[in-house]
Amino acid sequence: MLLCLDVGNTNITIGVYEKGLWTAHYRIATIRERTEDEMGFLLKSLFAQSEMDWSRIEGIAISSVVPPLMHALEKMAVKYFGLKPLIVGAPGVKTGLNIKYENPRELGADRLVNCVAGLEKYGPNLIVVDIGTATKFEVLNDKGEYIGGAIAPGIRISTEALYHRAAKLPRIEITTPPSVVGRNTVTSMQSGVLYGFAGQVDGIVRKIKQELGLPFRVVATGGLARLIREVSRQIEEMDDNLTLDGLRIIWERNNQGSTAMKTEA
Amino acid sequence: MILVLDVGNTVITLGVYNGMQLQEAWRMATIRERTEDELGILVKSMLADKGITTERIEGIAISSVVPPLMYALERMSYKYFRPSPVIVGPGVKTGLNIKYENPREVGADRIVNAVAAWDKYGGRPLIIVDFGTATTFCVLNGHGDYIGGVVAPGVSISAEALFHRAAKLPRIEITRPTSVIGRNTIHSMQSGVYYGSAGQVDGIVSRIKEDMPELEFRVIATGGLAPLIAEESEEIHLVDQNLTLDGLRLIWDRNQEKGV
Repeated sequence: MLLCLDVGNTNITIGVYEKGLWTAHYRIATIRERTEDEMGFLLKSLFAQSEMDWSRIEGIAISSVVPPLMHALEKMAVKYFGLKPLIVGAPGVKTGLNIKYENPRELGADRLVNCVAGLEKYGPNLIVVDIGTATKFEVLNDKGEYIGGAIAPGIRISTEALYHRAAKLPRIEITTPPSVVGRNTVTSMQSGVLYGFAGQVDGIVRKIKQELGLPFRVVATGGLARLIREVSRQIEEMDDNLTLDGLRIIWERNNQGSTAMKTEA
Repeated sequence: MILVLDVGNTVITLGVYNGMQLQEAWRMATIRERTEDELGILVKSMLADKGITTERIEGIAISSVVPPLMYALERMSYKYFRPSPVIVGPGVKTGLNIKYENPREVGADRIVNAVAAWDKYGGRPLIIVDFGTATTFCVLNGHGDYIGGVVAPGVSISAEALFHRAAKLPRIEITRPTSVIGRNTIHSMQSGVYYGSAGQVDGIVSRIKEDMPELEFRVIATGGLAPLIAEESEEIHLVDQNLTLDGLRLIWDRNQEKGV
């Protein structure tokens, strides 16, 4: 049984993988001040809630874009699970990805993990769109090399910023409005958010295709990806587990011959 | 001379008109705590810098989307300039027919933009895109009726939010990167912000057009980042940086008794 944690700036997504399946999923808020004990107890309570035997966890893989939490997560793994976690980006961790970034260490762990999973699951000539705190675009060329990407402001943080910075605008629910042109403030804002962010994704993807003159398969993941996909003209596929799968694949690549994955055959 | 003030959530833009001609324009930060005296002295020194005395200001028109500043602005008008200001809002004639559920809900800045755009480019359906704290879209039909709009998060506040909320991402300058595919973090963010914003505008405009195929829209952009985004956008036809100030000038005219 493998435990994977994808630590984003807003949420930590947690998955438990066993016998070829994700058997449990959890999401908790990213609170930078949390200690190893709080995290450990939270995870154990979540496992207990789903009647899961956490003693069967044989490996832990973590990707994080939030440095202040790393220390607590590492300590948690050791103290509550008796395991040294695999941390994406740490020295000696193999990913198998050929990164053509100016400084490969600068590439966020979440982006790297998405590329590994995207390449393994969908093959080269791929654009991965991850709609989270930031909306990230990764480009894998025909040789399966990572050649770069784009980072755009995410949906929730931009919408929150609008509410905080514009004196007369309310906080809105992000959903599909009755029409594109709004006839009151709330539906005008809902339209701006939904069609604006679908346009953001489509505009960037189209530009990438134009720049490289190649066809690409486009896969999206992340919390609000489903909503955006409904109106996007460029997103072809949805993969909710892309990041977790990437963590699992990296763990496997670094633990070949270990017992944890043997059940998979 | 007429003094016009467009009070946005981030910046106040001021202009002085000689007849219908914009003679000078200034920008100052929107600081919600500023008093009538601070505002008065600041505006007066800006005018003086161009050799304009306060006596020459015959009228003032104000549009504001920042309620906390309205009181200070009104007091400033009386104390430093004498003429009573025309404040865009209920009771002020704009000449615009607003088909919104609750017309009072339409932001003053959007009304002013619509008035100017119809005067300068009207006679056909228009979409007005204003790049400010929010990116707003106003839709006018072929009769010049305001039939609705769209409000999206603005370019700068979204880029700022990314810096504040993502632990490892830096603050960036908003510019047009040479390539959409970034090979370092800053370049990747510039690409995402720039090409994403152009895509945001084009995505919204193209969907408005599809929703109303019978209307042949002309798309006009205004606001600080309009020239930069228009370079990449496939939907923006022209950029008019003075749209909001021109609209205030027009509204001032429409609210004068004959002979004044």
